[in-house]
Amino acid sequence: MTHESDISSADAGAGAAAPPPLHVLIVDDHSIFRSGLRADLDASLDVVAEAATVDDAVALIAQHVPDVVLLDVHLPGGAGGGGAEVLQRSSALLDRVKFLALSVSDSAEDVVGVIRAGARGYITKGSSGAEVSRAVRTVAAGDAVFSPRLAGFVLDAFGAVAGEQAAADDELDRLSAREREVMRLIARGYAYKEVASELFISIKTVETHVSAVLRKLQFSSRHELTAWALSRKLL
Amino acid sequence: MTPPAPLVSRRTPGVPTRMLRPRGAMLGGVCAGLAEHMQWPVNWVRAGAVVFTLLGGGAALLYVWLWALTPLEPATGETDAAASAHRAFPVAPVLVGFAAVAAVIALVTAVVGAYAPAAMVALAALVLTAAAVAWSLLFDRNDPKRSERYGVATRTTAAVGLALTGVLLLATSPPVPATVIAVVMIVGAAGVLAAPAIVRLWTSLLAERAARAQEESRAEVAAHLHDSVLQTLALIQNRAGASSEIARIARAQEHELRDWLFAGTKPSGADFAAQLREVALELELQHAVRFDVVTTGDFTDRSFPAVLAAAREAMLNAARHAGGEVSVYVELSASDLDVYIRDRGPGFDIGAMPEGRMGVRGSIIGRMARHGGTATVTSDENGTQVHLHSPVVAHSGSRSAPSPQSAPSPQSAPEPSEPRASSADTQGTEGRER
Repeated sequence: MTHESDISSADAGAGAAAPPPLHVLIVDDHSIFRSGLRADLDASLDVVAEAATVDDAVALIAQHVPDVVLLDVHLPGGAGGGGAEVLQRSSALLDRVKFLALSVSDSAEDVVGVIRAGARGYITKGSSGAEVSRAVRTVAAGDAVFSPRLAGFVLDAFGAVAGEQAAADDELDRLSAREREVMRLIARGYAYKEVASELFISIKTVETHVSAVLRKLQFSSRHELTAWALSRKLL
Repeated sequence: MTPPAPLVSRRTPGVPTRMLRPRGAMLGGVCAGLAEHMQWPVNWVRAGAVVFTLLGGGAALLYVWLWALTPLEPATGETDAAASAHRAFPVAPVLVGFAAVAAVIALVTAVVGAYAPAAMVALAALVLTAAAVAWSLLFDRNDPKRSERYGVATRTTAAVGLALTGVLLLATSPPVPATVIAVVMIVGAAGVLAAPAIVRLWTSLLAERAARAQEESRAEVAAHLHDSVLQTLALIQNRAGASSEIARIARAQEHELRDWLFAGTKPSGADFAAQLREVALELELQHAVRFDVVTTGDFTDRSFPAVLAAAREAMLNAARHAGGEVSVYVELSASDLDVYIRDRGPGFDIGAMPEGRMGVRGSIIGRMARHGGTATVTSDENGTQVHLHSPVVAHSGSRSAPSPQSAPSPQSAPEPSEPRASSADTQGTEGRER
């Protein structure tokens, strides 16, 4: 859940120059939810297609190559892998199509499963249309979207609460001091802009930190993450 | 030897009754039942039965006839109606004894060279042993007064004797009929010996399969509800606006359903994170507010009553005065517990706060100070933030916070925490959330 007066402030200026609408594909097996979300998304987003199953989603993503896919974590069809399976089967397109995971559940396995499969962010279904729209634009711009709960999980999984800290920035298995501060503030419900002013850094720097954490979450071989992913057959 | 005495007294004179077999019987309960019915002395009936059986077998036929057609007397009290009849006569061991005698005769005749009669007697031994095993399995196993060991001993003796007879009979290199009987003996003995293990294996297999089927159907129901009902509830919350009445009801329902679906994974006992979530749920039902509770650290078996009470007060303030979205973040490290409660209300001037405002001054700042912690309240036009901090005794610690005042207030009571293994389960907190 990103909050009011969020990262979109940078986009607001660009919005005046009327950028081409972003192409969005909604993947969710619940038709009421799809239509509700479609109605709620703001005008800068163009929903090109909707899919209800894993197989439909993979086919439609390959066909339309949208900018952003709003992906439900729990999906019927395919081999039963849900949203993570869609990501795995569309992995060839990952550099052109950005995935934003949507779920009703905030459990770690749902979140981390799709993030490690390649999603650029995670947002709960309780979020408003404006929040989802902002998150879509953030993801499309190449940044990551973290919910407070996901930030909390990251702090736990990387041992940041216990005081572990990365010595070098490129270390994948630990968070740097700055990343830890950013994650803590996001977990406390701060929007990116608020994080920036709290830490006296620019929004762009906050986004860089968040993206770095997302990368670590995706590629770290830290044993808690790996053991956890293995136990759920995500790797 | 004699059947239970009450049998006679149970009968009302002049009222015709059906003949019944008593549950406490010698063999089948036929003689006792007949004696009861005809008002004859039971020992005379038994003697007559034995005599007439030996004289030509007529009594044995009648016995079997009556056994088959006479109903068992109704079960009394707590005894299991289907399977609780006691037969005092040790039929199975006696049959095994007869079989042993027959086997010895068969072997002797075989050694002498009279193979034809030897085969007949061996067959009789085989049939007697089979009868003993059948009796043991059919009757003795369900008999409350026969121990498990009694049955196992009987059947094992029967099987071993049978195998021995078969082997010895084969050793005399007899002609085909006797050889066939000997082989059947050995195979039968092996079957009797192996049967319990096979039955046990089969039963456990069935039980396991049933358990798995049950688990699968539960998972299916959970998955279905997850995909349909929870989605709908999320949609309702989404469309109705975060803090509306309808959204709050839908949210409470969602939590209830989640708890029910994942009841097996709930932590037991004290758990600060779970307690804080409960507080959040309770306040959400009473006020137009939505708490986003995020916890990090391992809270298993750890509770901090004073911090919980202060956090509750701060959350209540946020619910009352700000509403909307409130973020709650809890961080438990080896030495500290930090709770941040942040709302996005209009804020208030802390300096202008009247002395009498018990909520913030007494229940939050004062309480934290009494328990060795601190509470910091900051407020501006973007909202109010309450930061509770409390030092924590490391893992094996049993007090929530060292209290500078030694007054034994309920909040400083020792928490029921156990020394635990230090393996940090990083997924624990999040995983339990489901």
